[in-house]
Amino acid sequence: MPQQIRRLLVAFAVFIALFLVLRYVMIPTSFGEYGHYRGRSLEDNAAKPLQFTGNSSCIKCHKSIVEEKSRGHHAGLACETCHGPALKHVTYADTLPHAKLPDSLLLDKPAERKNCALCHNRNMARIKFRNDTVNISMIKQVDVMKHNLVDKNNESLKCIDCHFPHDPY
Amino acid sequence: MSEKKDKTSRRGFLRAGLVLAGSVVAGTVLKPFNGVVVAGEEPKGDTPWYGIGIDIEKCIGCGKCAKSCKLENNVPMEPFFFRSWVEQYTIAKDGSVKVESPNGGIDGFKQELPDDQIFKSFFVPKMCNHCSKSPCVQVCPVGATYVSPDGVVLVDEKYCIGCRYCIQACPYGCRYLHPAKQVADKCSLCYHRIKKGIQPACFEMCPTGARVFGNLRDKSGPLVKFLRDHNCLVLKPHLNTGSKLYYNALSGEVR
Repeated sequence: MPQQIRRLLVAFAVFIALFLVLRYVMIPTSFGEYGHYRGRSLEDNAAKPLQFTGNSSCIKCHKSIVEEKSRGHHAGLACETCHGPALKHVTYADTLPHAKLPDSLLLDKPAERKNCALCHNRNMARIKFRNDTVNISMIKQVDVMKHNLVDKNNESLKCIDCHFPHDPY
Repeated sequence: MSEKKDKTSRRGFLRAGLVLAGSVVAGTVLKPFNGVVVAGEEPKGDTPWYGIGIDIEKCIGCGKCAKSCKLENNVPMEPFFFRSWVEQYTIAKDGSVKVESPNGGIDGFKQELPDDQIFKSFFVPKMCNHCSKSPCVQVCPVGATYVSPDGVVLVDEKYCIGCRYCIQACPYGCRYLHPAKQVADKCSLCYHRIKKGIQPACFEMCPTGARVFGNLRDKSGPLVKFLRDHNCLVLKPHLNTGSKLYYNALSGEVR
């Protein structure tokens, strides 16, 4: 075998060995387990923290409010739809019952007019007449610019001053 | 006589050959377009295969889906990063179509056209279609985005190099580059929730039940029932993405 071919073969062998080592080091072990991706990534995605907890947690402490809501028009709504994510609030209350919750864990009590307007401000796109499991034509549509009452000091009243949000009329 | 017969048979042979060759060529060209390629085809196996149903007739555009998505998945609050958002379509009587989505619908919608000029108006909640033949997965150069065995399109944050190809490739505009992590980010169908048997956040927070989440393999489940009871369409069926997000009452104007 000529010398230059022998040297070339050595160079090739070194190159291939280097390639195999790099490939071994750089490709994660779970790559290709299910497809052309890192299989462990499924677990990473599944392990992300939750924020919303669901209605079943609320009844443990706020029984009267949950019962009141279940009688009214807002029965179908999740508590967290208005009050925001509650998992941390619930976990704290579960681990330390009867302790006062720190302010940072108290949930939103949206009182401003704009919060009610998200669903109830009059909009042509909401006025449809269809009867299915939820009849959305039943969702009261109010022109919040016109229906705007004021108190003695000429400041506009909040919606919830007259319409109680857990059992509205 | 025999000479003439030979001549016609040669012509006939050539003609038949040309017709055959032509039809073979036409067949290969037309093949990708034949057949109904509206939605994804169910793969073999017995894992769940998740899909989504959205009833446009029930959506009231409160934007709670967009907000709960941001809170659940720590999506930046700036108004250009969304995994899930709502669009308001307004079709005027003169035929013009207006699409608006101020802050993804989180702060509510205003209707600027007076009622008598509106032909029709409706809300369309948008999110990842979790395509079974997903273009964003096909373009990823490093295998950082993939379709999970249960039919959810996910991003591997540790593996993504932030090249933005997938953001370009998604025909529905459902991806963005996370400004802090510098990796592509998208709806994961709340994979951390559905793996624990809970509904994704936007489905749970929807006040009217306009969203249906379910397993397409479960033929008695809520999603298959929704598909059976409604005339459902997917967005951009001509792109053959195999979308698994089915809309009821989808108007032709929606893109």
